[in-house]
Amino acid sequence: MSYKLQPILKTYYEGLEEGKILGAKCSECGDIAFPPLPVCQACGSVDFEWVELPHELILKEIRWEDASVGGDYTWRKGNMFFSVPITEDRYCAAVAQFDVAGSSPFHVPLYGCTEENYQEMRKLLPFKVDVKLVEHKKDFLTVGAKVRQAEIDKANAAAGVEA
Amino acid sequence: MADSRLMRNVSIVGTSSLKQFSFDQPEWEGYSMYEPWACAVSQALEDANIRPNDVEKISYSQFAYFPTMGHICAPVNYLEEWAGLAGKPISHIEQACASGYIAFTEAVQAIASGEYDVVLVAGLECPKFFVPIDEPAYRVKPLSEYKEFWHPGVALFDCGYARFDGASDILLPDENGFYYKEFYGLKDEAFIDEAYAHMAINQRRGAVRNPRSLDYGSSKDYSEVAKDEGFSSDVEYLLSPKNYKITQFTRKSGAVMHNCAAGALVLMSDEAIKKYGVQNRPIRVIDYAASSLSPRKPWCFHNMNVEVRKQLDKNGFFKPEEMDLLITTCMSSGEQTDSAEVFGYVPEGQGLQYEIDHRTAFDGDTPINPHGGDCQWGHAMGCSGVNMLSEAVFQMRGTAGDSQVQKDIKKTLVRGMGGGHTTVGIILQNA
Repeated sequence: MSYKLQPILKTYYEGLEEGKILGAKCSECGDIAFPPLPVCQACGSVDFEWVELPHELILKEIRWEDASVGGDYTWRKGNMFFSVPITEDRYCAAVAQFDVAGSSPFHVPLYGCTEENYQEMRKLLPFKVDVKLVEHKKDFLTVGAKVRQAEIDKANAAAGVEA
Repeated sequence: MADSRLMRNVSIVGTSSLKQFSFDQPEWEGYSMYEPWACAVSQALEDANIRPNDVEKISYSQFAYFPTMGHICAPVNYLEEWAGLAGKPISHIEQACASGYIAFTEAVQAIASGEYDVVLVAGLECPKFFVPIDEPAYRVKPLSEYKEFWHPGVALFDCGYARFDGASDILLPDENGFYYKEFYGLKDEAFIDEAYAHMAINQRRGAVRNPRSLDYGSSKDYSEVAKDEGFSSDVEYLLSPKNYKITQFTRKSGAVMHNCAAGALVLMSDEAIKKYGVQNRPIRVIDYAASSLSPRKPWCFHNMNVEVRKQLDKNGFFKPEEMDLLITTCMSSGEQTDSAEVFGYVPEGQGLQYEIDHRTAFDGDTPINPHGGDCQWGHAMGCSGVNMLSEAVFQMRGTAGDSQVQKDIKKTLVRGMGGGHTTVGIILQNA
């Protein structure tokens, strides 16, 4: 099958506006690219279909990097110079994956994890989190993740953090 | 006896066919640079009968990436992902409009050295648009809205001395005109003007017939344009104020277009051609040479051509009389003439007359830029070298369609120039 030229980025971002998280599922091997890409990362096929992914992720790792400390190279830099989220909530770096066959882990900004509770929260891994659609100042959305209250309560209790 | 300077045969076996484009064309609304890149690479791989995983190395060319791709340095990994090539070794070549040619020669070396058997050369450029640093890449905007400093022409010039001399950067387009006056004793500047008008006619005839040209389907032969504008002939129109002069010798019709493009070529060793069952006629690389000089000194374009010619002569595999086709960068009319003469494709001092006699048109006996060249077909800076080489491949395969050269092409000289500072000459031969 020959490559079919079609807008990928626009389709994805417009999907988010409609509340849909879109991936690209390879018609040959079933691998799912998220964010979507027009060529299968596993087998190189250009034959894919759009698939809607759930609003739930499995959180696999918490890679704590304090996004507020000057000198932090990754998240703070991204926050300051590139796509600036509207929310002022602190976030850290994490690794998550959709619970869908063919999907792969990816980096995601994680909300609900704090400097006080992240070490206890790590002991609970892996666990399910909700997708959080992060609003940006230039009027577009990106995919983030948010810890559910149950895990926040457990981690806070173990860390001795007051509610 | 060897017929190539290379230690191993290296051939072009696949090419993309994506046309030159611009984001203000309606059919490109909603796209980013990543989609055409993925398309061009996929086309080349399919043409070569291979999959992404068969590629062993990538040599990628792009010049104006920093502002136009969203203030990103060398997006090699993302470009790989978009083409299904994640994990492969990749080099980014940035050498202004010579980037594509240099990327090609790097790829040739990679195979000729024995290190690789399948190398992808791919280019990308969108010079008149930019991606805001804080928005998704499909929200391209015209460069006129870019608030930071970005001017590709000025950015190319020496920041030690010449940037402030007010002269070096503006003399390049007229070099050939002044050369004819000084070295051939030409006194009548009107002759140069007329010859460049005929060159534009020749080039435009190729461009309107080439489906990969920027304005394919909307631009017309100058004879029709002249009629529409109320002129009695194409030459009369092209010598009128409607086709205004932008320098002493160069008119608008003889000045480079700038547009977006993506392009790709697959290069293989003989062993890989056999392994992958390539069906296309291999286009072998026989030799190449390059030179870089400073435009702070007079005759920069000409002297770079002379240096490249010297190297090719020294290597012993270049015979001008064997060249059936010349494809050359043509940022302004004079560059085509000088290149044709220095490389012996046309006799010295005769280049302008060849244009007037239409011998350089796609259906002439000494074709140059049958696709239309940078002034009529399109030019996408760091990607242009890849696109020019692709056009050479179409011509040599005999698949260039309505702008096909009207004779068998055994050998082609592809000569590229970038930045007013680099010139490359590549000899291709039909297998």
